[in-house]
Amino acid sequence: MNNIVFGKYIPLDTPIHRLDPRAKILAMLIALVAIFIPAGWYGYGIIAVVILFVIHLSKIKLKVIFKAFKPMIFMMCFLLVINVLSVKEGALLLDLGFLEIYSKAIIDTLYIIVRLLLMIMITTILTMTTKPLDLTLGIEYLLTPFKKIGVPAHEIAMIISIALRFIPTIIEETMRIMNSQKSRGVDFEEGKLKEKISAIISLIVPLFSVSLLRADELANAMEARGYVPQAPRTRYRRLKYERRDLILVIGAFLLLALMITLAIVI
Amino acid sequence: MVTFKELSYVYAPDMPYKTTALDRVDLDITEGKITAIIGKTGSGKSTLVQHLNALLLPTSGTLEIEGYTIKAGEKTSKLKELRRKVGLVFQFSEYQLFEETIIKDVAFGPKNFGVSEEEALERAKKALELVGLDPSYYQRSPLDISGGQKRRAAIAGILAIEPEIIVLDEPTAGLDPKGAKEMIGLFAMLNKKMHKTIIIVTHDNEIVYDFADDVTLLDGGKVVCKMKAHDFFAERELLESHDIYRPRIVYLKELLKDKGIMIPDDIHTLADLAAFWRDHE
Repeated sequence: MNNIVFGKYIPLDTPIHRLDPRAKILAMLIALVAIFIPAGWYGYGIIAVVILFVIHLSKIKLKVIFKAFKPMIFMMCFLLVINVLSVKEGALLLDLGFLEIYSKAIIDTLYIIVRLLLMIMITTILTMTTKPLDLTLGIEYLLTPFKKIGVPAHEIAMIISIALRFIPTIIEETMRIMNSQKSRGVDFEEGKLKEKISAIISLIVPLFSVSLLRADELANAMEARGYVPQAPRTRYRRLKYERRDLILVIGAFLLLALMITLAIVI
Repeated sequence: MVTFKELSYVYAPDMPYKTTALDRVDLDITEGKITAIIGKTGSGKSTLVQHLNALLLPTSGTLEIEGYTIKAGEKTSKLKELRRKVGLVFQFSEYQLFEETIIKDVAFGPKNFGVSEEEALERAKKALELVGLDPSYYQRSPLDISGGQKRRAAIAGILAIEPEIIVLDEPTAGLDPKGAKEMIGLFAMLNKKMHKTIIIVTHDNEIVYDFADDVTLLDGGKVVCKMKAHDFFAERELLESHDIYRPRIVYLKELLKDKGIMIPDDIHTLADLAAFWRDHE
């Protein structure tokens, strides 16, 4: 529970860390679109090389990125099983009598897995190199144009930053309640289904009530300091685009254009 | 006897921000006594007591408790049985309540340890009576009673398990002075009448002086000393070097001594002091 590495900000000073969060979010979105363009293995090769280059620049250890893959392993196996059972095209690779495995099933699965891995890598780079507060600030700025059609940009950003802020608190709270219930003889690891359900209820109910309590306290504390979501406000931190941010976004667009070209040509 | 031998505990050992919470702790806790564990915030008190029912397992060293030997790196079986014998009441234990009614919540512990439904409810009633919760509360939801009553219900939840050793992590924090005193009185009673071993983590030195037999002082994950409570508060230099405030009676005795008025060492309460003076007038 304490080693949730996925997306945790790592404070370093690299060219990637210094980029404007808005540019990074935009580039990430463009890159995600690029990944979904069926540009074949060459396309994915190119994207992978670009991503590895960015990872190298950001000085994130590959090991840490691989750790983020771990929770996906189960899903990948699940995908493989579904595909093997359903796809019956391509060359017959293996005939087990009760089950025939075709090449297309394997290739399709690989496609999905590669896409997923690339997506995880990109989002992980974003969250590992951007402070959570900068991230929400970036989201707020990017959503500002949509305010005209009634999107509550500031409120959304505030909700995200509060949620991020409370993740460690809630984890701590969970551990404490788990330990309290273990002391009362609850076994979270073993036991029959009925015992398991009762164990989870003994964790969930206090956790909910504590979270609601915290929310109430936080709301009061914010009101006590005169917080009004609609009020015009100034900022301590202002975001400023630099040339490198422009280069990043243009680079992302070029990557997208390249993928589209590849998809059409091949 | 509960024995810590060279016990260390390290949080996040593989991470750059690893912290040694307990550093080669050697400690004996005598059964049948009230032992207070004191020390600053972050000195390792809570980490220490969580070893007592194997919620935390040592990074190195061993712990002997209730016939169990918990050794670093070795799996100990039947931890559940140990948790029945050693009841641990957490800090802010009121947040562990979850059942629809208070009595069901208190009966939850014993039921987990294989006690029958009726027996568990019987024990729950007994425990609730001990902590001083009125029967009119039994059928109410634990989520809409006051904080102090929640704390009582949570402590009853551990007492109903009928452990041999009762460990309490700051049980009086946030209670009003009267409630705190009643609570400590209850633990003293459990110790005297039912011969339970009480281990209590607290910042309230008045409680330590009035109720505890032994004191263990922790600092930076190390045991500084283990002494009889009354002897401990006579160690002026030790107290000063660790920023420990003296209980009122100790302070008063020292003030009187400085003024040349000698008070016998065996006077430990204000009532005794008053009686002593009346006899000497």
